[in-house]
Amino acid sequence: MLVLVLNCGSSSVKFQLIQTSPEAIEAGTEKKLARGNIEKIGMTTAIVSFQAEGKPPVKETPVILEHRVAIERVLTLLTDPQVGILKSRNEIGAVGHRVVHGGEKFSKSQVITEEVYRQIVECCELAPLHNPHNVRGYEIAHELLPDVPHVAVFDTAFHQTMPEYAYIYGLPMVVYRRHGIRRYGFHGTSHRYLTWRMQKLLNKPASEFNLITCHLGNGCSITAVERGKSVDTSMGFTPLEGLIMGTRSGDLDPAVVLHIMAKEELTLHEANTMLNKHSGLIGVSGVSNDMRELVKESQKGNKAARLAIDLFCYRLKKYIAAYYGVLNGADALAFTGGIGENSPLIRSLSCAGLDCIGIQIDPERNEKLNGSEGRISPDDGKVGVYIVPTDEEMMIARDTVHAVAGKL
Amino acid sequence: MIREVGVVGAGETGRGIVQSAAGAGINVVFCETSEERVAEAIAAITAVLDHEIERWGLTKTEKTVILSRIRGVTSFEDLKSAPMVIEAVHDDWALKSKVFTALDRVLPPEAILVTNTSSLSITQLAAQTHRPDRVVGMHFLLPVPKRPLVEVVRGLHTSDETVRRAKEFAADINKTAIEVFEYPGFVTTRLILPLLNEAMHVVMEGVASAADVDTAMTLGYNFPTGPLELADRIGLDEVLLWMEQLFRELGDLKYRPCPLLRKMVRAGHLGVKTGRGFFAYDERGKKKKES
Repeated sequence: MLVLVLNCGSSSVKFQLIQTSPEAIEAGTEKKLARGNIEKIGMTTAIVSFQAEGKPPVKETPVILEHRVAIERVLTLLTDPQVGILKSRNEIGAVGHRVVHGGEKFSKSQVITEEVYRQIVECCELAPLHNPHNVRGYEIAHELLPDVPHVAVFDTAFHQTMPEYAYIYGLPMVVYRRHGIRRYGFHGTSHRYLTWRMQKLLNKPASEFNLITCHLGNGCSITAVERGKSVDTSMGFTPLEGLIMGTRSGDLDPAVVLHIMAKEELTLHEANTMLNKHSGLIGVSGVSNDMRELVKESQKGNKAARLAIDLFCYRLKKYIAAYYGVLNGADALAFTGGIGENSPLIRSLSCAGLDCIGIQIDPERNEKLNGSEGRISPDDGKVGVYIVPTDEEMMIARDTVHAVAGKL
Repeated sequence: MIREVGVVGAGETGRGIVQSAAGAGINVVFCETSEERVAEAIAAITAVLDHEIERWGLTKTEKTVILSRIRGVTSFEDLKSAPMVIEAVHDDWALKSKVFTALDRVLPPEAILVTNTSSLSITQLAAQTHRPDRVVGMHFLLPVPKRPLVEVVRGLHTSDETVRRAKEFAADINKTAIEVFEYPGFVTTRLILPLLNEAMHVVMEGVASAADVDTAMTLGYNFPTGPLELADRIGLDEVLLWMEQLFRELGDLKYRPCPLLRKMVRAGHLGVKTGRGFFAYDERGKKKKES
């Protein structure tokens, strides 16, 4: 079956075409036939990049003012005789949609029925910046491809197995009941992919090991996975909680927010943007939100850049140690995401001084394996430390196949 | 959502509308009388956005994106592609009617003409055009990007569809619209002015000091700014102009301008813009602490 994976953001559409089937998933022989990206939708010119297997890459800058036009463009590219790979859009067997928030209603991926659609729309209240675009993407794709099943894959679903004591905040319970204020967690599809992949690397089923997964990209989160199930994760009600991120503060004394708002006479909007867009690595360093830049600057002796790196790694280390405790010991620790996969320095700093709980990194492996999959802890290390490049699209395609077959 | 909007006049209100629309993802073409004025307007908007960045309300990338949606022109011809054009020139009948006549001639007949007047008659402006059903008032409050309200004003011939489109545009730029029929002062001006005027009477009659009047209203009724400071910020000459207009139009004694207001205007104490009104202000418009 050919699955089109769609990820619609506020001004972007990312997509992949994946050839897959229950058998291919079993055998690990799924194939990516095409991938692409449309950015800057609604701006003066959009940026389209696309490549199908064995075909020349496409880079163009048309005017795309709307998601509908963008998704139509996706289908046109896929069926283009020169650069595309399909004869007709009818060859697409199903569409998998990334949906950020599934609230408490969805603990696994779902074929989108009218009822499911209604419930996803209800979740817009919890993720007003993301879900509306995901919903819009589905509505358009459903109109353009009305005869195939559409499946929603939620970022929050994997974390629905967290126990109550891990997801309830120490606040009056009435705010949970009235407004759904609780910890939901995000990046679930990535943490789940890592869990699945570690079965191959450790050569045993997920039910037989405990795992800590670190997704370190633009947004960062860490998850404690107990025998295949998420039991705690660092992001909470929104993606702001937990680790230090590129532009987000992560954990904070909530009184600080109230105090700053009073002192600087900030509006809700200004306070929100400060925490989400002006904090984290960029806020502390004043240099960049890009870890590669910070490492370079730090090597040149920039103290603010070094401080940002130290904060980032220290916070991460605290979480790793805490989740080790939550799990009563972990068999493995996996790094993924732009930073997790590509920064030997961050991996080594955040694991430094954790040999007390059996976490060690082999410096040579850490450098040599950078960017690719494999073990970076020494052979006799008690906890296996791994790099596992994530693949959320593959996971969405898999879920789509399974959901359509009714096997989720 | 409307894709493009035209704005005529880039004074404080015009720039505010330009910034609000571009900030909400709408492309804006604004028209000024010369290239210099276009450049000045862009510089002023850039300064406001930079200030927003300093207040953590915006990122540099967002600023670039917002500015990329704004285009300044010097001819009404260049507004032709916009389905809606908002006139925000000085609130003066001769000027506004000239602009309206010219816009009506240049713009395609289906385009909606919006006037930002707070005092002139929409019906009378609409009569200058061949499309009175597609003329509507939108009264924005200053500073436009910070005030989430707009009064959508119906003239006698304004069609329901035009009102609907104006309300839709208000929603697109994240403002709540209230619908009002053409009448002197609409709602906001008509209600706030007598309050400011009455506060001045209280001071004039020696009931309480200016500072205490403002404290009474900020603490007692949760006003973000006291009525006398608000009058200083609007400009006492403006307040007087307004009161006189309401008094003239409605003829009711309750709109009679307070003699103290008249006296202060004659003395040149116009509020924030002259550094002195009921209170003293520094160059940045910040109220000075009383010594």
